[in-house]
Amino acid sequence: MSLFNKMMGKTRYVVCRLFLHLSGSEVAPILGVLNRAAREAVDAEGDIEVMGEGLVEICETLLRYDEYWLSASNEGDVFWNEGEAGDYFNEIFTDSASRYGAELDFDQQEPLSLPATRNVVVMLTVAYEGEVPELETDLSNIPALTEGLKALINLQQKNKIRAIQEHFSPAQYGDELTNDQLLQYFPELIPL
Amino acid sequence: MVRIIMRKLTILCLVLSLSVTTVACGGGNQTTTTSNSVSSTSVTPKRLSDGQYPVQQASYNDADGEYTLFLIGSQPPTFATDKLQMARLTDEEIKDGKKSYLKVENGEPALYLTEDFKIEYVHNVTEVQTNPQNGQQETVVVRRESNFWTPFAASLAGNLAGQVIGNALFRPQYYVPPVYQSGGIMRGYGGYGSTYDSAVSSYRSRYNQPPAAVRNRTAFRSTGTIKNSTSTTNRTPSSTRGTNTGGRATGSGVSGSTLQNSGNSSSTNRRNSNSGFGSGSRSSGSRRSSGSGGRRR
Repeated sequence: MSLFNKMMGKTRYVVCRLFLHLSGSEVAPILGVLNRAAREAVDAEGDIEVMGEGLVEICETLLRYDEYWLSASNEGDVFWNEGEAGDYFNEIFTDSASRYGAELDFDQQEPLSLPATRNVVVMLTVAYEGEVPELETDLSNIPALTEGLKALINLQQKNKIRAIQEHFSPAQYGDELTNDQLLQYFPELIPL
Repeated sequence: MVRIIMRKLTILCLVLSLSVTTVACGGGNQTTTTSNSVSSTSVTPKRLSDGQYPVQQASYNDADGEYTLFLIGSQPPTFATDKLQMARLTDEEIKDGKKSYLKVENGEPALYLTEDFKIEYVHNVTEVQTNPQNGQQETVVVRRESNFWTPFAASLAGNLAGQVIGNALFRPQYYVPPVYQSGGIMRGYGGYGSTYDSAVSSYRSRYNQPPAAVRNRTAFRSTGTIKNSTSTTNRTPSSTRGTNTGGRATGSGVSGSTLQNSGNSSSTNRRNSNSGFGSGSRSSGSRRSSGSGGRRR
C-alpha cells in the first residue's frame, strides 16, 4: 500500500508526538525555555518558522538535561492524505491539552512556599512531509530518544515541518506536578 | 511443445495475478480520497492546457495566497492557482500593442503583465479569538477589504516596496505582494524569487514576519496558562492541590499548523492503523478507534 502510494508520487505525511518526563531538583529552568518558546509562538500567532526555531531550542535543552530523563513515550501515524493528517494533529492537540488544567483559579495562593517542582512533562508533536526513521520508531529508550530529538532539530533545518505543537506541565516555576498526577494523566509513560 | 504451452500459461497467470493485485491496491487506495473533496468546493479549474490566454482581470486573496484569473478564450473563463509566476512585458512587446496574458508551459502558469496592470487585492482582517466550544484560541477572519496592486508599477514613487534589477524583471518569477495598505494603490512587491519558498523567505528577511498569505494559512491554537497570560508574567504561584482543575496540574500548550483539515466534523474515521508507530503502551481504546472505524476496503 505505502509502496504503491510512493510509486504514485503521493506526499507522505507523518504526525508524531513524544512525551518526555524529567525529574529532579534541577529541572525547573527547562520551564523557562518552554515558556519563552510558547510566548514567542503566541506573539507570532503560530508561525511555523518561529515555532520551528523554538522547537530546536527546546530539543537542545532537553538533550542537555538528559541525566534527568525519567520516563518517555511516543506515538504517531503515517498518512497519504493531508486532511487526515491535519485531523489527527488537531486530535492530538485536544488530547494533550486535556492532561493539564486549562482553567486556573488563583484562590489558593501560598506566597511563601515555593515548592520547586520535581517533575516536568514535555509533549512535542510535529507533522512533517517525507520519512524520518529516527522518529517513526519506539522512542522509549535513551539512545532512541536522543536520536529522535536530534532528528527533530534536523527536520527544522530542512524546512520539512508542516505543523508544530508544544505542551508542557506544570506551567511555570512554583507550580507543581505531583507523582500521582503523572500516573493519572500520563499513563503511557515508560521508565527509561 | 508441452513445455512451451506451460511456459506461456505461466506467463499468462503471472500477468493476470499482477494486474489483479495492482487493481486491488488501487481500489483500496481510492476509498480514502473521497473524504477530502469537501474542503475545496470551488469549481474553478486549477489546471489549464498549454497555450497563451489574454487576461481580462486578476485578483489575489491573501487568505490563502490564491490568484483568480479571468481569461479570454478558455473554457471555463476563470482559473485559480496559488503558485503563479509573473513577469513584465518588454518595452518592445508593449510598443507592439501586446496586452497582458497568461502563458501556460508544461502546466506551469506564468503571467506576463503591462506595467500598469492592476491586480485586485482581497485583504482578510484576522483576529485571534477564543472558540467558545472548546475554550481554545484560534485565528478567524473578521472582515474583508480590497485594494489594487500593481507589481510592476512604472512610477518609482517613494512607497515602492521593491524593484527588480535589470532583465530579471522580464523573466517569470514568484512574487509576494507588499504589506497591505488600505489607501492608494499598492506598488511593487514584498519579496520575489525563483521559487515560491524563496520569495516568501525574501519577504521574511525584509519585514521580519511572514507574508499575509502564509500567516493566514497557519492555524494557531493555544491553551492553558499561556493563553490567559497577557503581559502578566509575574503572578503568585498557585498551589494546585485544590481540585480547581479537576486534580490536574497547570500547563500550557501552543500549536501552529499549515495542514488542511479534512472538513469532516465527525470523529476521524482513521484508516487501518497498521501504519502507526510508537512505544505503544497505551491502551489503544481510548482515542484510537473512535466510533465505527474498522478497516475500510
